Amino acid sequence: MGNGTSIGRVRGLGSSHHGAQHWLSHRFTAITNLVLMSWLIVSFAVMGDYSYSSVSAWLSHPVSALAMILLVISLFWHAKMGLTVLIEDYVHEAGTKFGVLMALNIAAIGGGAFAVFSIIMLVFGGQA
Amino acid sequence: MSQRPLSPHLQIWRWGPHMLVSILHRATGDGMALVGLGVLVWWLGALASGPAAYETFTDIMTSPLGWVVLVGLSWAFFTHMMSGLRHFVLDIGAGYELDTNKFWSIASPVIAIVLTGVFWAVILRVWESQ
Repeated sequence: MGNGTSIGRVRGLGSSHHGAQHWLSHRFTAITNLVLMSWLIVSFAVMGDYSYSSVSAWLSHPVSALAMILLVISLFWHAKMGLTVLIEDYVHEAGTKFGVLMALNIAAIGGGAFAVFSIIMLVFGGQA
Repeated sequence: MSQRPLSPHLQIWRWGPHMLVSILHRATGDGMALVGLGVLVWWLGALASGPAAYETFTDIMTSPLGWVVLVGLSWAFFTHMMSGLRHFVLDIGAGYELDTNKFWSIASPVIAIVLTGVFWAVILRVWESQ
């Protein structure tokens, strides 16, 4: 970054056409959350039997498992963006903000990966 | 940082329904992100671990505190969904007329409470019929 011309002083500091990305991703994942949560809510409502054998059989079905994996990814992505905005709004000290945002990234990716891995384990039968 | 001027915060303004629906959107969204995803991850992990872990999960979730969490999460979901749908309408530039805006600010959380009631009514009805 230069310090001579006016364009040199601002280049690389702004959003440079990426400012809408976070906003748009939040909307995209909101729509996928809406579709997949509707599926989950209806599935829960009509399930009736919430025993282990019944619920695990339902979730082991390929269609349910794939929908649940997609839902987990969509939810964690959307939630991570929501919490990012919360942190940016209320945590002002730069070092603390960096630390909290890093913890959020670890928790979001770690939690999402654990959830997806759990679904895969259930489908491919780690347990009998 | 402390020397910089701040815009007036919450306590300056007279409360209206649009402010309530706005803060409810954030509170329910971040509440679900922190509590709801925890319950979801626990539920999926318990299913993968087997019947014993799943029974621990269902025992705790059907305790009085567990019911509060489950009903609370369902309310948070429908509230966030309704205010989110309201945001989609506002995003396309509609619904900013004062009366319309006020109406949907009140209607969104009220419809959410109705949907929460309908959801649990259906669950209990199907459950009892089995």
